[in-house]
Amino acid sequence: MTLLRERLGGAAVLGIPLIWIAVFMLLPYAIIATYSFWIKQYPTFVPAFQFGNYLNLFTDPQYSKVLIRTLKVSLLVSFFAFLLGYPFAYFLAFRCRSQALRTWLYMAVIAPLWVSYLLRAYVWKTILGTEGILNSFLMSVGILSEPSDIFLYNQFAMVVTLTYIFIPFMVMPVYTSLEKIPRNLVEASADLGMRPIPTFLRITLPLSMPGVAAGFTMTFCLTFGDFVAPFLVGGPDGNLVASVIVTQFGTALNWPMGSALAIFVLVIVLAVLSLSDRVERAFSPKEA
Amino acid sequence: MKLRLTMSAILALAAAPAVAEGTINVLTWEGYADSSFIDKFVEESGCEVNATYVGSNDDFAPKLMAGGGVYDLIAPSIDTTQLMIDLGQVEPLDTAAIEGWNDIYPKFLALDGIQQDGKYYGMPYSWGAIAFMYRDDAFDTPPTSLAALWSEANSGKISLWDDKSSIYVAARLNGDMDIYNLSDAQIEAAKQKLIEQKPLVRKYWSTAGELVDLYKAGEVVISNTWAGYQSSLLADEGIKVTEFIPEEGAEGWMDAWMVVKGTPNKECAYKFLNMQLSEQGQCGVANVNGYSATNGVAAKSCMTPEQYAALHQDDPDYLDSLLIWQPLGERFEAYLNAWNAVKAQ
Amino acid sequence: MASIIELDKLSKHYASIAAVDDVSFSVEDGEFVTLLGPSGCGKSTLLRMIGGFEEPSGGVIRLAGQDVTWTPPYRRDVNMVFQDYALFPHMTIGENIAYGLKLMKLGRTETAQRVTDALELVGLHDKIDQRPHQLSGGQRQRIALARAIVRQPKVLLLDEPLSALDAKLREQMQLELKHLHEKVGITFIMVTHDQTEALVMSDRVVVMEKGRVAQEGSPHLLYDHPRTPYVANFIGTTNFLDGQIARAAEGTARISVAGVELEAVTDSPRRAGEAITLGFRPEKVRLLSEGESGENEIPGEIAEVVYYGLGLRLAVAVAGGGRVYVDSLLPDRLADTAVPAVGQPVRMALSPGNIFLFDAEVA
Repeated sequence: MTLLRERLGGAAVLGIPLIWIAVFMLLPYAIIATYSFWIKQYPTFVPAFQFGNYLNLFTDPQYSKVLIRTLKVSLLVSFFAFLLGYPFAYFLAFRCRSQALRTWLYMAVIAPLWVSYLLRAYVWKTILGTEGILNSFLMSVGILSEPSDIFLYNQFAMVVTLTYIFIPFMVMPVYTSLEKIPRNLVEASADLGMRPIPTFLRITLPLSMPGVAAGFTMTFCLTFGDFVAPFLVGGPDGNLVASVIVTQFGTALNWPMGSALAIFVLVIVLAVLSLSDRVERAFSPKEA
Repeated sequence: MKLRLTMSAILALAAAPAVAEGTINVLTWEGYADSSFIDKFVEESGCEVNATYVGSNDDFAPKLMAGGGVYDLIAPSIDTTQLMIDLGQVEPLDTAAIEGWNDIYPKFLALDGIQQDGKYYGMPYSWGAIAFMYRDDAFDTPPTSLAALWSEANSGKISLWDDKSSIYVAARLNGDMDIYNLSDAQIEAAKQKLIEQKPLVRKYWSTAGELVDLYKAGEVVISNTWAGYQSSLLADEGIKVTEFIPEEGAEGWMDAWMVVKGTPNKECAYKFLNMQLSEQGQCGVANVNGYSATNGVAAKSCMTPEQYAALHQDDPDYLDSLLIWQPLGERFEAYLNAWNAVKAQ
Repeated sequence: MASIIELDKLSKHYASIAAVDDVSFSVEDGEFVTLLGPSGCGKSTLLRMIGGFEEPSGGVIRLAGQDVTWTPPYRRDVNMVFQDYALFPHMTIGENIAYGLKLMKLGRTETAQRVTDALELVGLHDKIDQRPHQLSGGQRQRIALARAIVRQPKVLLLDEPLSALDAKLREQMQLELKHLHEKVGITFIMVTHDQTEALVMSDRVVVMEKGRVAQEGSPHLLYDHPRTPYVANFIGTTNFLDGQIARAAEGTARISVAGVELEAVTDSPRRAGEAITLGFRPEKVRLLSEGESGENEIPGEIAEVVYYGLGLRLAVAVAGGGRVYVDSLLPDRLADTAVPAVGQPVRMALSPGNIFLFDAEVA
């Protein structure tokens, strides 16, 4: 009796999360996947099984253009997040001697995550605008004679904003992986005749690759699915794939097309995830 | 207000309020349930009003289709009302239960899109123009043509509504005046025109608040606008703008209240419709949004003569000069696809 | 023999604490020197300064006659075996060992040959393609050695090299390391807190205390002639008793302690009446059987008996409240009756040459 009860208890412990995942994750995907084969017909859409929506993805230039643009922006955001986030995480993990300062700086990077995403995006709007802080600064130091409109409402603004918003997702995993590197490996490398920069390239960087891969994946995937930045700071050429999906599900009432796009994005994200998983595994120092 | 609009656009699905006895949930435009005239209604009728705002006519269908029986009343524009009927989301109105129905301008009652099989589904509420607007201090000679929105001189300072209506604008500039029945070739031409304009555009605006912001921040000096609304918001901010109807004409719109099919709050819903068509609702929206009224009798009695004239209440010529929106039906996809292709460019 | 390492008044201060305080000694070429002391005595810091991982606050380090005090580690001709080996987890064993040869421009064949030789030296040539995590602790230890030796440094530094191994393996590795040292002929400087390790392996031991050198010398010298109670206590076990000089003569003294007077050999002149701490090793004490007599007899009463296989350790309470440990090997066949019982009175004998005399205030 008690054994049975224990087993039932165990089944509940495991089962509830599984049911949760099935109902709230797999089922929606299955529904989306089903829709993607349906067909648009006024006023909405009707069940069908055809690949026209997927075909559309590749033949209608508006989708390929947006996908390529999204890919470009995502890569740029991930790259800049890496370029800025890595040295910062490196400084925190290796160079910052004071524990208090390290905690403080780490919190400074993480804290914005507690601030509304929208608010942070708005901040950049006020910084980058024609009458914004950046322009005022550049004019006050004499670099510009009149305000420039090149900072806001374009892809540059999107990359800047998204890099800023997603940089914690790069710093956190990179810091964690740097933190895990035993300090004496760096010393051993120096001991074996390697100067600091080659030591970084041969020891520190490869050993932090799992963190870099995780950070890159997160920033890439978050950017790939973002539709707020294009809305707030993107310009006429700032349409990203998530905005297109929103349009298909909303304005266009073309859920089949939106679903096909969503499935395609899912495939890309999964591909990136498995790639990063491989990178992580290749560089992970396994324990005996 | 800007934040509220954006939030409502983005977090619309999260905004499913609890339904209490005598509570109606309305999905509508900002201002249509303004506390300046709704508070009195709530007090007198005992019906609570929860308003959720849309940024575009295209928000109605997705929100209703998301299901859940959340909304009792909606107020789409005349280009979208037919879709609501075709989607089966709304029910016929009991016009006899609406006082003042016969005071509605006949021209509006005759419009395509609010009737089906001899029954009315939409109650005309307010109307206006999709006018154009410019910042006074940016123009020595006031613009009179749509060409100003394609002019190098205004490069980087132009905005256009992020809506299929941009196709209407471009088509008119191309000389295609039958904007609701464009052929594929005409749509393609309009699309090319918009692609040509794209480098000059600062930002396509999506919400009223966003456009106001763009003018305020000095990013934009000319755009289309919901006549009467954004200009008055800008006037409050001390920014001088002028609305104008270009040589190529302007679209007109009319919003109609519709009752969502199967609403459990019919009694409150009809109380709400009656209020909206009375002086309280008609002048309420005129005062808040600067939109014109559809109930001529009510308008005459609650507006000052100046306001009455400014809102073209008794100006059939003005009304006739507007290209009142029409349901696009199956052609909607072609228009929207062209607009999406422009944005994807 | 020439000095390969010379430390001249080397110091390292952290804030106001002196981790290494004015240390000077030199190491001969080919010598195996051990820095011995408890944790916090500065031995690791000293080793890390020799390796170049810490900058001294003062003093000079010379390597083969050249001042290397400020030379970065990657340009010092010394190599270190780190406490937990510091093998690169993302490289194979072969790559780990070849790492230090990369900048030597040896050419592919020579590099490969050297890697193979180094692996053969430690008996692990079959592990060349494995990764560190696939090896046992002892094997990793040997790889760390091979990686350091392959560069043929002038000096090999070993930071507690055996501390991560279990007791059995540690004993085995002590001898292996010693043999390796003899085989490669490189100077070894090892840090340890384990006196057995120090005694077994080293030519010379430097005992450190609070950042300073307490005493240095051969294991033999340190064991038999500790200069301070600290050294006596750190190397081996020592009984300490407080006493007073009764009479002093040239080279000898009589000390009254534990109710008796003992004869002891002394290097330094002593005065009568001087308070003194006297130390002796438990294994140098002889228990006298009934009727037997010996030098320097001390009476006492057995307080505790501990059996540890090899022999017995008795705790004997003596007059004046002191306690003396006596180690005695057991006879071949131990009759139960022969085991001393707690409470039994005994007499102990101690030869004068086996008594250390320390100034009382030092103790």
